[in-house]
Amino acid sequence: MQRRDFLALSIASGFAVAGVTGCSQQQPLAFGIHPWIGYEPLYLARDFGWLPESVTLKSGTSSKDSVDRLLSGELDGAALTLDETIRVLSRGRELVVVAVADVSAGADMLVVRPSITGLADLRGQRIAVEVNGVSGILLLKILEVAGLARDDIVTVDLPVSQHPQAWARGDVDAAVCYEPTASALQRAGVVRLFDSSDMPETIFDVLVVTRATADTNPEAVRDLVGAHFAGLQHLVRSQHDAVYRVASRQGVDPVDVRNALATVMLPDLSANQRYLAAFGRVETVARALFPPDAQREHDQQPAPVKTPV
Amino acid sequence: MSARQYFFLLVALFITECVTATVASARETLTFGVFAYRPDHIIRERYEPLAQYLSEEAGVDVELEVLDQADMSRAVAANRLDFFLTNPSHFLQIRSERSLTGVLATLVRRSGNHSTSSLGGVIFTAAGRETIQSLEDLPGKSIASPGVHFLGGFQAQTLELLDAGFDVRRSNRVRFVDTHDRVVRSVLAGNADVGFIRTSILEEMAEADPDLFTRVKVLNQQALAGFPYVVSTRLYPEWPLVALPHVNERVVRRVASALFAIEPDDRAAVSAGITGFSPPADYQSVEYLARTLRVPPYDQMPQVAWIDVLNQYRAWAFTIVVLVLLLFGSALWLAKSKRQLAAQQKRLKQLIQDWPQPALLIQNGIFVNTNRAAVDLLKYTSNASLSGKSLEAFSPETQPDGQISQQKMEQRLSRVRGGQVEQCEWVLRRSDQSEVWVDMTLAPVQGEGGAGSVILCSLYDITRRKRAEQRQRLAASVFDHSREAIFITDSHGMVIEANDAYLEITGWPQSRAIGRLPPLPVEEGSGVFASARAQGFWSGEFRCKHLVGEPRVLAVTISSVCGDHGEVSHFVGMFSDISRLKEQEQKLTIMAHYDALTGLPNRVLFSDRLQQAMALTRRQGSKLAVVYIDLDEFKPVNDAFGHEAGDQLLIEVAARMRAVLREEDTLARLGGDEFAAIVTNVQQEASLESLLARLRNQVAEPVWVACHSVEVSASIGYTLFPQTENLDGDQLLRQADQAMYEAKHRGRNRYIRFSAPCA
Repeated sequence: MQRRDFLALSIASGFAVAGVTGCSQQQPLAFGIHPWIGYEPLYLARDFGWLPESVTLKSGTSSKDSVDRLLSGELDGAALTLDETIRVLSRGRELVVVAVADVSAGADMLVVRPSITGLADLRGQRIAVEVNGVSGILLLKILEVAGLARDDIVTVDLPVSQHPQAWARGDVDAAVCYEPTASALQRAGVVRLFDSSDMPETIFDVLVVTRATADTNPEAVRDLVGAHFAGLQHLVRSQHDAVYRVASRQGVDPVDVRNALATVMLPDLSANQRYLAAFGRVETVARALFPPDAQREHDQQPAPVKTPV
Repeated sequence: MSARQYFFLLVALFITECVTATVASARETLTFGVFAYRPDHIIRERYEPLAQYLSEEAGVDVELEVLDQADMSRAVAANRLDFFLTNPSHFLQIRSERSLTGVLATLVRRSGNHSTSSLGGVIFTAAGRETIQSLEDLPGKSIASPGVHFLGGFQAQTLELLDAGFDVRRSNRVRFVDTHDRVVRSVLAGNADVGFIRTSILEEMAEADPDLFTRVKVLNQQALAGFPYVVSTRLYPEWPLVALPHVNERVVRRVASALFAIEPDDRAAVSAGITGFSPPADYQSVEYLARTLRVPPYDQMPQVAWIDVLNQYRAWAFTIVVLVLLLFGSALWLAKSKRQLAAQQKRLKQLIQDWPQPALLIQNGIFVNTNRAAVDLLKYTSNASLSGKSLEAFSPETQPDGQISQQKMEQRLSRVRGGQVEQCEWVLRRSDQSEVWVDMTLAPVQGEGGAGSVILCSLYDITRRKRAEQRQRLAASVFDHSREAIFITDSHGMVIEANDAYLEITGWPQSRAIGRLPPLPVEEGSGVFASARAQGFWSGEFRCKHLVGEPRVLAVTISSVCGDHGEVSHFVGMFSDISRLKEQEQKLTIMAHYDALTGLPNRVLFSDRLQQAMALTRRQGSKLAVVYIDLDEFKPVNDAFGHEAGDQLLIEVAARMRAVLREEDTLARLGGDEFAAIVTNVQQEASLESLLARLRNQVAEPVWVACHSVEVSASIGYTLFPQTENLDGDQLLRQADQAMYEAKHRGRNRYIRFSAPCA
């Protein structure tokens, strides 16, 4: 597959020479991104110069920024969780998943006051959560496992970045969050009660582009995906180097980066193809997340994962 | 406690000591090699406590050996080391040279309160070097490095600079000075522009030299939070500690557990400047680095199995195989067709060379190629004597039509270059100066035009034909201009060709002459052709009627002409008009037998007739008489009146005598005034005598000549035949002559019969 794509790409590049001027006139693909270990490969790629000029990264503080700017048309693509992707889709912007950046295997977690020892103890507690994010999904799952209703707890809708302050003020008893905030909270005294490793291959962080971009600027999409995999390779192969770079970029300790890396699965190219195949895991999860009446709009399949290796 | 007890205790202690010593001396000794990345004494000082620690914890004697890379490689090859600690690049090289159990642990380096199991490279220069600010300033600068197999001292920097766009191994003068310390000194002393060292060196050296960092400038410094050293490159795993395969597995386990048990505060760790050992790191990034830089052990091109290549580039391989097959196929096909073409060409060349008709190729007016027949035609020995020469060189100055050969050829060739095909007759001169007529065809060779075009010249020897033509022309002119009539008929005798003489002699127009029989003798007709057919020829003379004039006498010869199979196909006849000749012949005959004056037979004819008359008389049993007549007194007339008068007299007398004689009798003039006559069929002598008397009387009658009347007489003697004796004509005439003399003697003017003298 990969080789055939390489061949196709080589041939395509040969044909593309004539159209170089046309390509260069295109606006760079504006890609929204926010701090998250799964998205770090793109930052690494940018730092090492593996990100072509056809793509520019637009950093935000959280996924909410990316969602808003996607909807406003400011961005051509963004790094989102799968549920956020579906949320944007259901709000009328057609998106195409082009890569699975990571699969949460414990990165998203419920941290609680040490006095809370079981899920049943959550009843009546104040829980900080970014409702319109992946954390919301996790919370629903937790409630389902705990056998609690939505009303049995007090939901405090807060962006993950503000959780440490909320905890410090004593506003919340628990928080649904993810790394690196999770590590920071844990150092502040909370304990982990539940994490995404309890629900494997459910929380996907994906790279998406708008349908229009996929159609009109496939070269840039290809560059984006290629840069992601180049960065991923460095992250995995030269972890000794990468952890320091990720740590200095996120402003955390390298140890935290190592911890964070332990909580995600970073699928390589072939794993990506497996996930994004028709009726693959991503599509299955997406269908489960998606209200049936809107499923028609949800189009996963064309993910053009074409990457020079 | 008693003294005895003390004694026993002492003995026991001594024994224990001894046993312990024995046990200790029996313990195996392990050699622990450490790579001297800094001066030997520093390394030995630092790692000695670690060796001691291992000796204690692992229950084996560990001997420290500090080695440079080459020595370590040799020691490993000789199995003199049991464990070694070296940089990852060197480890990869050793690992490729011999199989190793792998990495036991990865060193974790200490720096103040921090520790790291990563290392990187530092690129630095002296602080005062304003011209060197970034990596872009490095090309062309001299570089000091500890050695090629130093990960942080060379390879990490090389990769970084390769990414920046240049290869220091090509664009820089790199001096390898063995240790990091020397690199720093070299740069500070200005011996090198730039130094490559691993991370932690500068910090370590700064401990002894606190203002070191003010004297150096680190290039491309990376901002890596939590990394305790200045660094210019990306990071790689720290040094591996490796056990060699021959080491007992139990010992390896014990050493490993001792290594992992090292706490940061242990003396061994503090002394070595480490915080301990971590589980083996992934050295993949170092391998990738070595592969990218193609440094040992990846300085060889990777051995790739064909099947891998095939799997990876199946479509390419298939395409290439198809292309190669196509290429091979087309090459084969080309070779085959080339061979065929060559054979064909050879055959064609041979064909042209051996073609019986002379052929030449002319380019720019000179021969470029000739075949054997052409050489033979011109009587030369080889192609070489012809090539390079022009056709004019083999032609006489002028052609038979009077044109100059060169000019004529120029005209022809220019027309041929215009695309026409020219054909003409030409005379060539051979090497032996003989001339040969040829029929020459000049044709442009298709596909080439212009002045340099090739012209095919084909020659056909027509000398024999020309000679035959000449002969034919000659024969035709003979036929036409001959005065003899010549005609040719078909096998039936019908004329198919006749010349002008024929028409003239026969008087027939051409239209009448052709298709009819030629003039033939009346009595034989076309039978002459049968004779000619049988004998090959017929000849004869005959009289023939002329259309308008006198009849002609023709002498004709007819020859038969045989065809291919021996049958007579034609007759050739020739005749001439011999009418005049015949006339002449008759005149001559008359002149020979008659007397010109009187028209009477002469003596010759007289003799002849006498013979005939005697034969006839003898056969009939009758008689004849021979009479001899001589005129009397003729001479006086002749003398008196001239010869003409004499002749007149003779003519008159002869006519009178002739008139007296009968038709069947012959009167001849023997000469002068002597006449003789033959009188045949004499029945009785009396009638003869009366005839003779009439003769005498007639002669005696006067004759008017020359205005005068003259009178002559005749003396006549005669004799009869047959007589008793057998006599011939001459004897008879002599007898008559004698009798005439008798008559003369008796007084003239009388006739006397011969009578034999009495014996």
